[in-house]
Amino acid sequence: MGRYDCMPVRPLNVGVIVKLEPDFSEGNVSYNPDGTLNRAETKNILGPHSAAATLAAFYCKVKYGAKVAIGTMGPPIANQALRQAQLISNADELYLYSDRIFAGADTLATAEVLRLGVSRMNNGLGADIVISGHRASDGETGQTGPQTAWKLGYPFIGNVIDFHIDQEGKSIYAKRFISLYGFYDVIEEIQAPLPVFISADPSYKPSFNTISERLSLARNLNEARNKADNFEKYLQVFNSEGLGADPRYVGLPGSPTIVYKVEKIPKAKAKRRVEFVDGNDTVKLDMVAKKLIQLMTEAPIK
Amino acid sequence: MSGVTQNSEPSTGDLARIESYQHLYVVIEHEEGIPVPVSLEMLGEARRLMDNFNVKYSSNEKVVAVVLGDNVRHLCQELIRFGADVVVYADNHSLKHYTNLLYTKIICQIAEDKNVASSISPNRSENYKKPRYMFFSADNTGRHLSSTVLAQLESGLASDINKLVISDLEIRHEHKTKGQTVKFEKTLEMYRPDFSGFLWTTILCLDNRNPVTAREYHPQSCSIIPGVFEPITKEDQRTGTIIDFEPQISDEDLRIKVLSRNIIKSTIDFESCKIIVSYGRGIRDSPEDNFKLIEQFARALNAEIGISLPISKRPYQTKDQHLLSYMIPERVVGTSGRKVSPVVYIAIGISGAVQHLAGMKESGFVVVINPDSDAAFRDECDIFIKGRLEEVLPTLTEHIKKHMLMIEKRA
Repeated sequence: MGRYDCMPVRPLNVGVIVKLEPDFSEGNVSYNPDGTLNRAETKNILGPHSAAATLAAFYCKVKYGAKVAIGTMGPPIANQALRQAQLISNADELYLYSDRIFAGADTLATAEVLRLGVSRMNNGLGADIVISGHRASDGETGQTGPQTAWKLGYPFIGNVIDFHIDQEGKSIYAKRFISLYGFYDVIEEIQAPLPVFISADPSYKPSFNTISERLSLARNLNEARNKADNFEKYLQVFNSEGLGADPRYVGLPGSPTIVYKVEKIPKAKAKRRVEFVDGNDTVKLDMVAKKLIQLMTEAPIK
Repeated sequence: MSGVTQNSEPSTGDLARIESYQHLYVVIEHEEGIPVPVSLEMLGEARRLMDNFNVKYSSNEKVVAVVLGDNVRHLCQELIRFGADVVVYADNHSLKHYTNLLYTKIICQIAEDKNVASSISPNRSENYKKPRYMFFSADNTGRHLSSTVLAQLESGLASDINKLVISDLEIRHEHKTKGQTVKFEKTLEMYRPDFSGFLWTTILCLDNRNPVTAREYHPQSCSIIPGVFEPITKEDQRTGTIIDFEPQISDEDLRIKVLSRNIIKSTIDFESCKIIVSYGRGIRDSPEDNFKLIEQFARALNAEIGISLPISKRPYQTKDQHLLSYMIPERVVGTSGRKVSPVVYIAIGISGAVQHLAGMKESGFVVVINPDSDAAFRDECDIFIKGRLEEVLPTLTEHIKKHMLMIEKRA
């Protein structure tokens, strides 16, 4: 069977799970006097890691003509994250999974909703590739993606910095970045059959090199703007019942963990003896400069 | 039922729970047979917690290290010297490199294996179901592995923990206890610094004791921030049990293939430079101009440039591509980035959130430039220059250049 066989290759179905998060950018973020986030004064946006995941889906759209569906669990205003994600990815379908009983969910209970949500995508066909961000900027656990993958029965590949799809072979080739903290870094190349779940590394950036890709890019960007202006046309909202969720496995009842208490982190005992220097005292600053040079020139080369 | 007698006789319900969930399992990470530092740090904290636990509850629960790989038998003795009572290892060629799917399956096999449990504590394993507690590393590998293992074991997981306490807690919770006060024994309090670095959230993993939604949630698990706990001093005389686990591997489990694996040297060299100059949100008033001052200062000291985590989120609107290239995750110093230990660390306009401090506290000499003399960094530095970077840096840079010129002339 050749490449130009009359049986068309079924289009690739890509699902993305995203999150509406506080906007940490300067001018938008607001902090309380004690340094904590002022949630009431801070705007919410599509999180930056969610945006990276959405870009990875856009790459599939431009390069492989994939169908893209975006899903999020959250209150009704989370549809703003979906609109922004559609603008980035020219998504064909948007899904909001929203129900009061989902509130207070930890990562396991959230993953349960997202598992059901992904299976609703693309008329119930689900997705060949599901993409999540690295972690949310506010929760920062990075657990929801891999837990959703596990519940879906999709193998999980994390920290993906680059990938391509062999549509005929129905596999993914992905490069992932592994930082071992206190050890060297590793770049790994993985091959896996579809379906698969990947998380986009924060450094992920798609590149479009061929002329046909660039034409497709321009067309898709244009379409995305038109679609996002009418994003509600593409939006489907599911509550718990609509998803067929078992109430014991979502929201608070489905959450093994609770937040027991929140406190200010006490200051650590000083381990160094600090010398205070007035920033206007140029004589003192000269002494600091001398000290730095002394340390720099005397220290043995590591 | 076993006829175990205890110094303090627990109620029948407690006994059933004790026997269903036992021990603290620590999932070890290693690179080519060398444990990564956090593995020994986790064992150290596990040792301290379980020593106290066994005294407090008159019990004999173990620290169980779990290690997977190809040719890892030699690692087991080393893990015992660093605090493990038991090491369960799975040695198989297909485990040479971590893949999430296969590692998750095998760790769950080990965690739920009754034979393993009976080798660990022969007389108390009849009702064994799962570990009581479980630790993972909060790095790229452990973060994902902990998530999938706990999705499979259907229990709770807290991430990025830097303090742990085991205690009996009286809990009243709308869902967990249906508003009643219930005592939860041997509960692991998992402390997690939040994204701001100023708040500490305590997470608990609790069974649902609400009759409507009753469900047991064990193991109580967490991922642990590298670099925060101390390993124990290595004891060559320590002895322990080593268990060779034969994993069940199907063809399906092998469908993820690692085609290549390359060690990369980061383009940002925090290892061989003597001085690191890091900046944070203190540049906000004029990011582009202030960054120029920082860069000139760093150049005078031949220093590499680091950043605090908020900067990597690019909080400023700028088209300055050069500046943007200094706002990337690869430059982050702290628990979400790199751990550094230069001869001199200079923090400019960084408040000193615990996550940042954890990444630089091993530095030789620390200088802070900050207008707020109450910044958390004041307790973690040798010299605190109180002032705005806009005013301090030009003077300091001039002084440094002047002295360097003199040194060059002499040479």
